Amino acid sequence: MRARSVAITGIGMVTPLGNDVPSTWKAILGGESGVREISGFDASGFPTRIAAEVRGLRAEEAIEDRKSLKYATPFSLFALAAAEEAVQDAGVRPTPATAERWGLVSGSGMMTVEFDFLQRFQREFAADGEIDVARLGAEGERFISSPEFARHRAVAGQALLHKRYDIRGYSANLHTACASGGQALGLAMRVVRSGQADYVLAGGYDTMINPIGFAGFCLLGAISTDNDRPASASRPFDRTRNGFVVGEGAGFMVLEDWQRARERGAKIYAELAGEGNSLSSYRITDSPPSGDGPMQAIRGALADAGETVDAIDYINAHGTSTPMNDLSETNAIKEVFGNRAHALAVSSTKSQIGHLIAAAGAVEGIFCALAIKHSTAPMTANLRTPDPECDLDYVSEGCRPMQIDVAMSNSFGFGGSNSCLVFRSPQRAETR
Amino acid sequence: MRANGVVITGFGCLTASGADVAATWEAVLSGESGIREAATWDSSGWPHKLAGEIKDYRPRELVSDRKLLKFITRQDVIGLNAVSQAVAHSRIIEHRDGLADPTSFNDRTGVFVGSPATKYRYQHDYLSPLANAAGDSREFGVRAMEDVHPMWLLRALPNNVLAYVGIQYGFKGANANVTAHGISGSQAIAEACRYLRDGAIDQAIVVGYDSASELEALPYYASVGLLSSRGLRPFDRNRDGTVLGEGAGALVLETRDAADRRGAKIYGEVLGSSVVAEAEGVLSVREDGEGVSRAIRLALEDSGKSPDEIGMISAHANGTRVSDAAEARAFTEIFGAAKIPVTGFKWSLGHTVAASGAIESILALLCLADGRAPGIPTLEELSPDCQGANVSAAEQKPRSSVGLVVSRAFAGLNSCIVLSSDG
Repeated sequence: MRARSVAITGIGMVTPLGNDVPSTWKAILGGESGVREISGFDASGFPTRIAAEVRGLRAEEAIEDRKSLKYATPFSLFALAAAEEAVQDAGVRPTPATAERWGLVSGSGMMTVEFDFLQRFQREFAADGEIDVARLGAEGERFISSPEFARHRAVAGQALLHKRYDIRGYSANLHTACASGGQALGLAMRVVRSGQADYVLAGGYDTMINPIGFAGFCLLGAISTDNDRPASASRPFDRTRNGFVVGEGAGFMVLEDWQRARERGAKIYAELAGEGNSLSSYRITDSPPSGDGPMQAIRGALADAGETVDAIDYINAHGTSTPMNDLSETNAIKEVFGNRAHALAVSSTKSQIGHLIAAAGAVEGIFCALAIKHSTAPMTANLRTPDPECDLDYVSEGCRPMQIDVAMSNSFGFGGSNSCLVFRSPQRAETR
Repeated sequence: MRANGVVITGFGCLTASGADVAATWEAVLSGESGIREAATWDSSGWPHKLAGEIKDYRPRELVSDRKLLKFITRQDVIGLNAVSQAVAHSRIIEHRDGLADPTSFNDRTGVFVGSPATKYRYQHDYLSPLANAAGDSREFGVRAMEDVHPMWLLRALPNNVLAYVGIQYGFKGANANVTAHGISGSQAIAEACRYLRDGAIDQAIVVGYDSASELEALPYYASVGLLSSRGLRPFDRNRDGTVLGEGAGALVLETRDAADRRGAKIYGEVLGSSVVAEAEGVLSVREDGEGVSRAIRLALEDSGKSPDEIGMISAHANGTRVSDAAEARAFTEIFGAAKIPVTGFKWSLGHTVAASGAIESILALLCLADGRAPGIPTLEELSPDCQGANVSAAEQKPRSSVGLVVSRAFAGLNSCIVLSSDG
């Protein structure tokens, strides 16, 4: 083992399939879909009217600090709830003696200005659609409230998490679109390894399911328009796939110096063993069909973890269900794994929970830890029409019981950032 | 010296005070400020209208790929311009293009960005559909699909500069897009150093960029008491707030081995860094400066330097009552009675938020290299609660070639970079 390896000792999530880890994992195993007609806002004017929404979350019950809640955007609430589950699960939290040795690393969403604020702004300062600049100058300072101003900051969620858990050490708030969550876990791993922190609360949180974020995806034509068949709209690697399904939620982990975790008798889900981080430098929305870009991330993660292609049992794919991503990712896996590619179990849990954007990599990393712990590979749901160009073993028949010693999670973002993470079972970690 | 030291082999910037590093440095040395009444809109009659805007903003001259201008916004243009200056300065493209096979070089070149994340102005594209829909939510969706540009989301991406630096130069290494408000630029430097030291990459492009002085930012920052209507006067008895600005700073960082291998000119070294949180909330700042002093202490530890080896401090110096006083207390806490020259640059450039740590690191490097810490001409009388800041209206002389750069942000974040101008 390295001088300092990194243990995952607590996990928490809020997803379209459940507002905690047990309910989400149960729904994953049950093959359920979190995709429905949108209920959070009136999407009737949009070409896509389905999404994977978080349902019935009452963050107020988990978070007793009412004052903080005033400063929370909807996706900050997801973060607070998921972080609370992770910290409780880990059985350790910052104390005055350890607060400076705790870090916080998260990938957070980009839609910090809420739609109702924009609507009020429009009524107040742009009645005819054009901004009345003189009026904005005269009235603008009274228009916004202090909590609103605070909520609009990209670091608002980060601030809430720091304050709630009294985390006083290292901090990073990242955004590389759909790679954010994966990159956050990777950076957090390096922070623990280097000794910059002994514990890091790390994860991602996002929602783009609001009229502006959703309009952005609709305009791009990147999302599925299968409004009549929500449950099968996300069908990664299927020949008829036609875009991703927008999801929302949060995933957080407590990462901890391995020795420290062992000494306090913590339960360890898995080792976060390696990170590969690359840039496709191709197009804003896609990696090239050859898999160049993602390939370097996968190779980098294997090397960083000290594993070879033969060691990997399961890959939680980025698998967005867009025509290009799934092809590019398949080819990247083939290029790196060669003859081993067809012996791997590869699945996309986005087939059930949709695409959680900045939270995706964090939630899917937790799925890898659960897959190791429960010796079960999640399935790729809705894969019914094989694509001759996507011909790996995508676990389409249902969740598969199998021993998983080493798992991998891919996340590739708009803008070309790629993250690949390697997770190792505690047994394998200890015997290395 | 570390096995994997990180050296600086190129830099570039674009600020309210100058279109490049030389012009900005000259302006700062001669006491010139780029702060004016905001001119990108009619700000007459606005109670808070001061801004550090880029002068003579001509996007077609700032970015070589004109097609790109359709897909990016003003702040992205500013960021990409600083990168092109730094890349040209470092001559790494000439080196790469001389390699028989550049694949490995590209795969081992990272991109680390301090990004302002989102902007209010992006959502302005939806004002017209909202007005036309007149409160009908279904109609809003229909109108938005008709009226808004299909590429709207891509133009609004917080990681556009990262993406286009990659696409423009073909770099494919490790990357991060830090969206941590006022420490973003410093933290981009710090994270690039992490991946360089870890051996994941051999060289990195680092850039911090922002157009913090956008239309809506002025009244909203003013609403929480952070802006001055009179000018930015760091550590002054009568200071009353900051002034937002636009700008970008970019650096090329390499491991010492990589720089030596290609025979690069080395302008300095990044010796260490830190990021710490105060954990007091979104807008709160500790008055005792505890976060600043801890950031300085950890950065010194990381760089293996002691306080008495520090020759100069580039302070955050944003001109707000609480932050300046807290920072001055932290200097006393770490350096005691030692009179280390302190300067700052926001009085001239404005507070460029996500860009500030990158721009100010470049200027601090020039201070150390030239042995000149510029005076702060807006300083009239040192505030009683800022006695720990050894600032002056006149130029001072750094006591050594090692300096600190302090940056602060919302969420109680503090970062410190330790730099040396030694090759």
